[in-house]
Amino acid sequence: MGTLEDRSTRDSIFPTTGNSAAMAATATGITKRYGEGNTEVLALDHIDVGFIASKLTAIMGPSGSGKSTLLHCVAGLDELTEGEVRIGQTSISGLSDQALTLLRRERLGFIFQSFNLVPTLTAEENILLPLLLGGEKPDREWEQRVISSLGLDDRLHHHPDELSGGQQQRVAVARALVSKPEIIFADEPTGNLDSSAGAEVLGFLRRAVDDFDQTVVMVTHDPAAASYADTVIFLRDGRLVDTLENPTTELVLDRIRALEG
Amino acid sequence: MRAMVLLSLRNIRKNKIRFGLTTFAVLLGVSFVVASFVLSDGLRSSLNTMIGTGFENVDVQVRAESDLDEIAFTDRQIDESVADILVDIDGVAAVNPNTDSMSVTPLNGNGEPLGSMMSPVVAVSWDGSEIGALRLVDGRVPGPGEFVLDQATAERENMVIGQSYDVVGSRGPEPFELVGINRFGEEGTLGDFGMASFQLAELQRLDESEGLVRYIDVAGEPGVGAEVLASRIDAALPSGVEAVAQEALVSELEDELSGIISIFGNVLLAFALVAVFVSTFIIGNTFNILLGQRVRQLSLLRALGASSRQIRFGALFEALVIGLVASIVGLAGGVGLALGLRWIMDLMGLSLPTIDIIINARTIILALVVGIGVTLVASLSPARRAASISPMAGMRAGFRFGSGEGTKRTIIAIVLAVIGAAGIAYGLFGGSDNTALLFSVLGLGAVCAFVAVSMFSPLFSSPSASFLGLPLEHLPGNKITGHMARKNAAKNNKRTASTAAGLMIGLALIAMASVVATSLKSSFRAEMESTVVSDYFVTASNQSSFSGRVGEQVAALPEVESVYSVRYGNARIGGEQHGVTAAEIELLDELLDVGLVSGDPTASPDATDLLLQSDVAEELGVAVGDTVPVDFAAGGTVTMTVSGIYENSFLVGDYMIDLSAWESYFTDQNDATLSIKLADGVTLEEAGEALQPLAAAFPQLEFETNAEFQERVEGQLDTLLIIINVFLGLAIVIALLGITNTMALSVLERTREIGLMRAIGMTRRQTRSLVRLEAGVVSVFGALLGVAVGIIFGWFAVLAIPGEMIDRLTIPYLSLAIYVVIAAVAGLVAASFPARRASRLNILDSINEM
Repeated sequence: MGTLEDRSTRDSIFPTTGNSAAMAATATGITKRYGEGNTEVLALDHIDVGFIASKLTAIMGPSGSGKSTLLHCVAGLDELTEGEVRIGQTSISGLSDQALTLLRRERLGFIFQSFNLVPTLTAEENILLPLLLGGEKPDREWEQRVISSLGLDDRLHHHPDELSGGQQQRVAVARALVSKPEIIFADEPTGNLDSSAGAEVLGFLRRAVDDFDQTVVMVTHDPAAASYADTVIFLRDGRLVDTLENPTTELVLDRIRALEG
Repeated sequence: MRAMVLLSLRNIRKNKIRFGLTTFAVLLGVSFVVASFVLSDGLRSSLNTMIGTGFENVDVQVRAESDLDEIAFTDRQIDESVADILVDIDGVAAVNPNTDSMSVTPLNGNGEPLGSMMSPVVAVSWDGSEIGALRLVDGRVPGPGEFVLDQATAERENMVIGQSYDVVGSRGPEPFELVGINRFGEEGTLGDFGMASFQLAELQRLDESEGLVRYIDVAGEPGVGAEVLASRIDAALPSGVEAVAQEALVSELEDELSGIISIFGNVLLAFALVAVFVSTFIIGNTFNILLGQRVRQLSLLRALGASSRQIRFGALFEALVIGLVASIVGLAGGVGLALGLRWIMDLMGLSLPTIDIIINARTIILALVVGIGVTLVASLSPARRAASISPMAGMRAGFRFGSGEGTKRTIIAIVLAVIGAAGIAYGLFGGSDNTALLFSVLGLGAVCAFVAVSMFSPLFSSPSASFLGLPLEHLPGNKITGHMARKNAAKNNKRTASTAAGLMIGLALIAMASVVATSLKSSFRAEMESTVVSDYFVTASNQSSFSGRVGEQVAALPEVESVYSVRYGNARIGGEQHGVTAAEIELLDELLDVGLVSGDPTASPDATDLLLQSDVAEELGVAVGDTVPVDFAAGGTVTMTVSGIYENSFLVGDYMIDLSAWESYFTDQNDATLSIKLADGVTLEEAGEALQPLAAAFPQLEFETNAEFQERVEGQLDTLLIIINVFLGLAIVIALLGITNTMALSVLERTREIGLMRAIGMTRRQTRSLVRLEAGVVSVFGALLGVAVGIIFGWFAVLAIPGEMIDRLTIPYLSLAIYVVIAAVAGLVAASFPARRASRLNILDSINEM
């Protein structure tokens, strides 16, 4: 392992084994600027990054590093100032709102830190929401499998306010899985959970990657959460400054300290 | 407090749109109130000016004496020779006998009668004298075979000096030459009230009133007071004739017209108050919304040390600002509305003089009181709730305003319901003579009832909304948004109920008006079919009377079996003035079934016979054979004998006398309506052909079959209903604004949810549907509830209206259903603006909103 400076060249960001066909999503030269003049903030500074298919990638960095912004931009939730993002072969940079919305519905899944569920719908309705929005019939067998794996069988007709935090996040995971998306984007999915509930959710995400070849991209500030990932990428001041393959909690902690040092 | 003031002003500036909508709701109500006063004040002022002008040079007017009220065209005529007496009286400078006639009708170049019910053209005598207000503008004063027309009518009808036009008198049309143009007063405006001026003798000849005039104008010598002159003249007059001084003339007419104007103004005011009432609901709702948005800010203020009182003050201050702005803009708006209404009335052909626009102190104060008052009242409860926010409460995510104490609200609602029912019952059925009192009590009762209904409605709004939303679950392509819209509408019963309240009130009133109008129509139709036996009717299109000669000519036709003259006048019976109907009692059975209960009036009726409707007979405590003293304007007091009592007052009213009585006691011998019974075997077409020459000779008369007559009257009812609905439409507009506001709140409260769903894949269009469908459900709920309440109100109204006009309840189900559909669609449209804003929410900002 070299020093930080050694690893800060752009080429090392792309995994050595990868070719673009194995990328679930790629971002090329993406930049995000807020405000103007004196108040201008450069949230993302010309980042090139790829997210490998069927892997769990974690995005980490100190607050203000742009990690959430990166996730949002790649997921089509936010607009780039410069650069291009591709989901699979599809460039999302020029898409209309309608097209982007459909893309998110049909090809992506989302798990947010809190407020993942629509309060007026039951757990089952929340799980099926992307499909219902599209008027599609769910794959009942797959749905049942996901629900059972997540232990939600007896919670299906409850409303979110009748579920614990952990259960709500599991419903969110189920929702993300049931529509069989190309990528699941998770923004601090365990941020509001206690350690055991959090570990449960991360375990499910890990199993989804291992057993079902799901691609997951996760923003987290928690080194323990990051340890579940295959790859961890580190941001600081809007730039990609480090990556780590096959992380453990200690390794991640080391890298973070190095970043902040 | 200054900090609160600053904060309040800043808040207003930041939420301009939301405040703007609220202000608009208030100002609509204020405008309507202002407009009603501006118009009635202006109308009164213009009419008073007109009256003043009309009597400018008339110091004393001599006319038939009577204490029965009639406006302008009376049936009192005096002998022309009275003028000779006047000339010799000391102090009299000039004497000018005059008459006028509603049964003389000039025709324009196309043979169409001048004037209509809305803008009548009166035939008057005129010799160009200085007394009186008419001034020659062009041409000359009319002589035999000539006439002069007022400027406005001449221009409108394209009639020019030198041309010959037909004038229809008692005997039919005669050619007259138009020799001059005159106008009323110096400015010449009497609205569209037209005058055709003839030489006195010619006019008398035309309507067969030779030797009679309606009044004699007298100008006094300079230096002689009008009062003095009047008493001098009065002393010299024969009995039955009086002299009235100018001042009395003016105030008499002013008072009569003022009464009518007051009614007009009060009707407008009633509609205005409905609008204001609806506004109050809307504003209360909106304030809850606005304060709910700022819960966090308010609790922060409390944490920093602001007292409850200061928070409440801030909320009330914002209300004050809104009220003030709404009042001031409403004042301007009211003037604009008055101008608009005036323009519409011109278009409808209502003859009115140019109405001044008068804004006096009372109107300005009223605008301020209504605007500020309504806003403050509506903000009291929300302000109290805002003040009760504890410092930390607002910081918690998901904090919502508490709903008011349950039992207290229920008790208030029940009390209001009882007061409302009592008020309505009294207003409708109470026997007081003071109509103003009755209407006020009725109005207050209605208000209480409405408030009670809206306070009860949260009890069933959720299940109702859920039920009404069922179809949304099956919308193709939009099932999930439909499902969510339904759930959202059913979720918050108080929110749904108060949003729907405005629409409920508007639709209740429209439904009530519809029920009453439809019941009127069906009663009328039923009566026509069962009661009326005649085949044809002749009426004057300007609702006036026409010469008896027409009836004679009709009777002469072989196709006609009998002709039934009906005349309407006034007389004093039992101490009060009532309408009397004169007809040939002998022929009563053949043409009309009045439901005789006792007596046999058709056997040799004479001029002392009096027929009474049964309720009236009961009130007077008389039976067949008893005598009743009756005062007639021209005929004096006559002792009449009750010869019959009947049930059905349709078309004939409560008091009937024989035609011979009319001939003896009234000076005008014109008919109001002719009922025609055709001979056996004559078809309507044949009768129509036979009557055609008469119809051509008297184009100002309507010759209609039973069916045509019915149609025309029903058409008038329909028009009235449309006008009422247009006015009520204002209340509906305000209610729709309320829906817009509430949906905007709903969107705001669900920002995170909308953001989440957009992230997961809800399109903009689906977002819009979500908002609109919810509004649709709420609107349908409000509309249905309103229609239900309206039907009940309508039923009460029908019970209260006298049986001679309405005898059955008919509910126009189809119309009501259409109204509900329109309300639903309007609700969808009202939600468009918040729907669009919802669809344009920034996804990330929304998700991250705390």
